[in-house]
Amino acid sequence: MIELQNVTKTYNHGAVIALRNCSVSIAKGEFVFLVGPTGSGKSTLLRLVLREELPDQGTIWVAGKNVCQLSRWKVPYLRRNIGCVFQDFRLLPTKTVFENVAFALEVIGRPRHVIAAQVPQILDLVGLARRRDALPHQLSGGEQQRVAIARAFVNRPLILLADEPTGNLDPDTSEDITRLLDRINRTGTTVVMATHNASIVDRMRRRVVALDQGRIMRDEARGVYGHV
Amino acid sequence: MPYAVKEMASNLWRNRLMTLAAVLTVAVSLSLVGAALLLNQGVSRAVGKWRGGVELIVYMTPAGQPYPAATPAQIRAVRDQLSRDPEVKSFRYVGPAQSYREAKQYFSSQPDLLKVLKPDDLPTSFRIVLRHADQAAALGRRFEHQPGVYRVLYNRQAVDAMLRVTDVMQIVIAALAVVLLLSALVLILNAIRVAIFARRREVAVMKLVGATNWFIRVPFMLEGLVQGLVGALVAAGAVFGMGHLVSYLIAHFQANLFRYALVTGHQVALTVAAVIVLGAVIGTGASALGVRRFLEV
Repeated sequence: MIELQNVTKTYNHGAVIALRNCSVSIAKGEFVFLVGPTGSGKSTLLRLVLREELPDQGTIWVAGKNVCQLSRWKVPYLRRNIGCVFQDFRLLPTKTVFENVAFALEVIGRPRHVIAAQVPQILDLVGLARRRDALPHQLSGGEQQRVAIARAFVNRPLILLADEPTGNLDPDTSEDITRLLDRINRTGTTVVMATHNASIVDRMRRRVVALDQGRIMRDEARGVYGHV
Repeated sequence: MPYAVKEMASNLWRNRLMTLAAVLTVAVSLSLVGAALLLNQGVSRAVGKWRGGVELIVYMTPAGQPYPAATPAQIRAVRDQLSRDPEVKSFRYVGPAQSYREAKQYFSSQPDLLKVLKPDDLPTSFRIVLRHADQAAALGRRFEHQPGVYRVLYNRQAVDAMLRVTDVMQIVIAALAVVLLLSALVLILNAIRVAIFARRREVAVMKLVGATNWFIRVPFMLEGLVQGLVGALVAAGAVFGMGHLVSYLIAHFQANLFRYALVTGHQVALTVAAVIVLGAVIGTGASALGVRRFLEV
């Protein structure tokens, strides 16, 4: 589903090396933790998968497409296969929970009856059916992240990328969010979660890819956070 | 695409002061463009009429000058010469009564002047049409020093002088219009930029969930188009109004010399169409530029 082959990515004309000759392969339906200290290249890797940036060297395959050779106008269609969740939620503050989720379908041209059917369903899945008319600032952090997950998943993408989704949340809520991502993973969606949260990684015992200074230090099938 | 229309309307409303400034600038600059176009058409019409008519006027000395007035014999001498000259296609003598009538029309807005003006004060004249317009100077020279002749007026020179004046006017108006159009462009560009900034969260989410570039761009482009078009419509009204005002003024003040400069309804309609098209182009052009510059997709 996601494959990086000898990928190198630098910034500032080579002054900062974000990824050094990384190769990693993630199969369909996997749940992968991406761990490593700040600046180790986790976010860069996710941005490359999203094709927000292009690598300096190497090739990247996402959902059967070589993203390095993808023409610009096809990028949006690639992204429809990828859901995305961030530490800072990125909800639209003037829209209700329902509208925030519906927005993701609206802007890719889904017809109204599809939106009316799918949004309540996904809100049910994330446990926010009763808060559909609330505005983001009326919600707790955990609830806001659930809305963000609902928005990322409402179009049933093949891949869900989560960039430190529990970074702003307390331990219990972090647990809940991780469990929700796990449930989404069980529907067959490939989940890649970049995180600092050692306890969650240790408890879940899923595949762990550890990065440090742009290198892949460790890739274990049922790993722990560990010390890199 | 109802989404794009909804977004565009809300962008315009959020940003209404900036929108107003952009629309007004477009309106003023396009009105000037329209005025320049009308002037241009009016002048070329008038020149055609003026040129086709009288080319040379020989004025006989009127009473009340430091030298004696033209005698009937002197007037007859000029008439005889004109009727014999092969270069003269036709001519007509304008006597004191008709000169006075013309003067009354010409100075109708200055009744004080008319009160002191007597028919005898006005020079009588020969209005001459030539076979070859370029012979005007040669023929005129022959009459200039003839006894009883007050002065010779070359209409062609007058027309050319008038043309030079209107040429300068057109250049000035066009330059002003270009400067204003540029500022309209910048204002629309800025309005688009502000709209994009105000929508940066939405734009980021749209990019993330895979909205196409055009889907993201179109509301902003429409916004520019509407600003350009509304400004153009105001300007079109102004052009239409100017056309009517000029013909009213000419009729009201009996400014017959300018009657030749009246543009036809057809020409006004064409000018209005040009102004509207230009407005749409400016609006879309500015927003396309803004979207390219400030919206990374």
